[in-house]
Amino acid sequence: MTLSSKKRDSLKRNADLCIRCANCMAVCPVSRVTPLFPGPKHAGPGAERFRRPGELSVDEWVDLCIGCHLCDSVCPAGVPISELNLLAKAKSLDERGRPFRDWLLTHSYLYGWGGVLFSPLTNRLLRNSMVKRLLETILKIHRKSPLPDYQSPTFRQWFKGRSSRGGKKIAYFYGCFTNTNEIDVGKATVEVLEAIGFEVVLPPQDCCGLPMLGNGDFNGAIKKGRKNLSSLLRTIRSGMEVLYTSTSCGFMIKHEYAHLLELPGSEDLAKHTFELFEFLRTLKESGNLNFHFKKLPVKAGYFAPCHLRALGIGFPAFEILKLIPGLESKVIEADCCGMGGTFGFKKEKYEIAEEIGKDLREAIDRLNPELILTECEGCRLQIRHLTGLKVLHPIQILRDALRSSSDQEVFDVGDALKNKIGLKS
Amino acid sequence: MHYDLIIIGMGLSGLMAAKTALDLKKRVLLIGKGMGGLTLFSNTIDILGRIPENLNLKDGLFEWIKDHPEHPYSKIGVEGIEEALSSFISIFPPPYTFQSLNGRNAKLPTAIGTFRPTYLFPSTLAGGTYLKEGNTLIVGFKGFKDFYAGYMAKEFKCRHLTLSLQDEGRSELTATYLSRLMEKEGFRERIGSQIKNALKGESLVAMPPILGLRDPMDAKKHLEAITGVEVFEIPTLPPSLLGMRLFNRFKEYLLERGVDLLIGNKISKVQIKSALCEGIEVYHPPITRFYSADHFILATGRFIGGGLEAERERISETVFHLPVWSTRSQDKWFGENFFDDHPIHGFGISVDPSFRPLDSEGKPIFENVRVIGTILSGHHSLYEGSREGIEISTGYWGAKRLLE
Ligand code: SF4
Ligand code: SF4
Repeated sequence: MTLSSKKRDSLKRNADLCIRCANCMAVCPVSRVTPLFPGPKHAGPGAERFRRPGELSVDEWVDLCIGCHLCDSVCPAGVPISELNLLAKAKSLDERGRPFRDWLLTHSYLYGWGGVLFSPLTNRLLRNSMVKRLLETILKIHRKSPLPDYQSPTFRQWFKGRSSRGGKKIAYFYGCFTNTNEIDVGKATVEVLEAIGFEVVLPPQDCCGLPMLGNGDFNGAIKKGRKNLSSLLRTIRSGMEVLYTSTSCGFMIKHEYAHLLELPGSEDLAKHTFELFEFLRTLKESGNLNFHFKKLPVKAGYFAPCHLRALGIGFPAFEILKLIPGLESKVIEADCCGMGGTFGFKKEKYEIAEEIGKDLREAIDRLNPELILTECEGCRLQIRHLTGLKVLHPIQILRDALRSSSDQEVFDVGDALKNKIGLKS
Repeated sequence: MHYDLIIIGMGLSGLMAAKTALDLKKRVLLIGKGMGGLTLFSNTIDILGRIPENLNLKDGLFEWIKDHPEHPYSKIGVEGIEEALSSFISIFPPPYTFQSLNGRNAKLPTAIGTFRPTYLFPSTLAGGTYLKEGNTLIVGFKGFKDFYAGYMAKEFKCRHLTLSLQDEGRSELTATYLSRLMEKEGFRERIGSQIKNALKGESLVAMPPILGLRDPMDAKKHLEAITGVEVFEIPTLPPSLLGMRLFNRFKEYLLERGVDLLIGNKISKVQIKSALCEGIEVYHPPITRFYSADHFILATGRFIGGGLEAERERISETVFHLPVWSTRSQDKWFGENFFDDHPIHGFGISVDPSFRPLDSEGKPIFENVRVIGTILSGHHSLYEGSREGIEISTGYWGAKRLLE
């Protein structure tokens, strides 16, 4: 089980479309910080003509591509640069063998429950410097990398304990990270959707498969995709739309399942899958979104994650956030956080991730915000690690700013709210 | 989603049109299949390079417009061009701003050791106007293949210094990598003192355009403080960081004013109802999205930008399938030198004074579609040295005449 040879051939053929304009060289976050990676023009279309099946790879550096898709988006010729890199990465890893560490980082859904069950213990362990040193020596997971905490109960468990409120049914793909590490993102989503009259349903779901794909493991990704498709197709056929809050999971489900992995049924699913704020924006455009917000005087920096950019839907969360009175949000002028899914955990890449992150941190420092908002869990981990600031998914702040419908008066509860979201001690 | 205006193409003309529309408080979608050509072309702002050397640009433009009634400049007039240019300059406040040399074309050094005329140039290039035999030390970097200091030094009859960053581990360096290093004070101190030691009476230091993306004037001043001489950049091969600075500044300005920006999205279909365009479809596999608007501006450029496509038998416009005009028949499509007055540069879209595309009888094809930028017929911008001038002035007036 891997990519179809037809797909492979068409990707490779498209390498010849390159007009050498070097647009991609102007935006690549990796070649900007290290000369070890020659940049998209050379790594993708340039090196492609030297890659032959059966011949050993000589381009180990291609593994340094973070998979951010920025190069793809600026290319006027439609060269699938990051996909060429991914194929080359997979080929080189097939030859060299994959480190156990990569398996661990991409299969957190297998042991995530363990982390949850023993969350106080796991979290203490993961913060322990001895353990971190061990992780680094044995597993090549960098000791300074921002390993996430586990939370208990899981989001799914929390949801099970709730009674249904009725309303139009809508499905939610929450993703592994929301389930075991950032439960509040899921809670906020449910609460907001219920507040505007939907009944949230959680269809059976597995890891979307993006971590495997990003590490060049097509088989693993395809298995995950098939499993999710069989459940989610049943969901949409029963008349529901599927919403997601993680832009990475969403990009995988909506675009990579169909475009890259060519999984049967994925085109249908794509038509009924929406990013949460994209969905809210559509409701707003058609006049069907009635939010009543409290005033929330907070200065927030908004960071657009790479997969959100790749989705091609603009910045819908940024647009919706403008509706919250008092909330002053500005776009952070940086293109990449450096985390790249699991990239920033790896010992050999940590420094590159740190360097990319430094540019982001400087951009944040220039804005001097009290709070950072971003849709991607990888970015949130990285930005917390880089800045020590409070970093939330935009839906969390939206939930906090929502007035309950019984709350008729408009009054300023800015400070109380700031307490609630933890900005004031 | 519905907009007042959808602009197709993210080169300088599309960006200018977006700025103009946002200044008029319109809701704008700016969409491009890539990021536009700024990192490819626009190191400086050419208005009309092909006029006698000592002629004032204004006078040169008057003459030119008189002799070229079909030229895009003739739809705008000299004062219109000046107004558009000041709107452009207004978003580049000092210290990194654009200037001309007393209203005339300046001759700026190039990375192949020649001089070329241009009108507006950013402050980091200004020192190039003083370059003379022997007065400049040209500084390059070992492993940065886009800028050969030794070769240029020979052509300009100056000395050169090629710095070696051995500690960087790899033999090849890219422009963005160098530029990021240059944003760090410690790095500037290190190379600054190396340059100072190498100076033998030169009063200028030339570098590739790597003085950083964010605050190039700061880097310039710092290096000048260390070396004691004026530092300037000489434009080189793409990716042009000079163009990137332009693009970044426009992006920042437009985002602050609420533009919707779709980079990397190709239009798969336009929806037309008699003489009106109703919307565009964007195919992003496997999804097709639809965007509607009251007005549309086409700013896709010619062949390199992808606005025009050449086949063996014909040349077509890629979004609206507008008729493409050429002054010559097919057997005259060929020429010796691409950069000369090559016939291929004569192709384009013919428009009325409000930039509406025209059919063979000279009637507007669409009521709500305008065409701007280098895709217009009637100019050979590469040969004339008028590329950015056409983009800025038609971008500005295309949007303004539409919306006011
Ligand atoms: S996907 Fe990102 S990291 Fe990889 S080559 Fe493209 S721009 Fe560089
Ligand atoms: S942006 Fe596309 S066409 Fe331009 S150099 Fe990169 S791959 Fe080639």
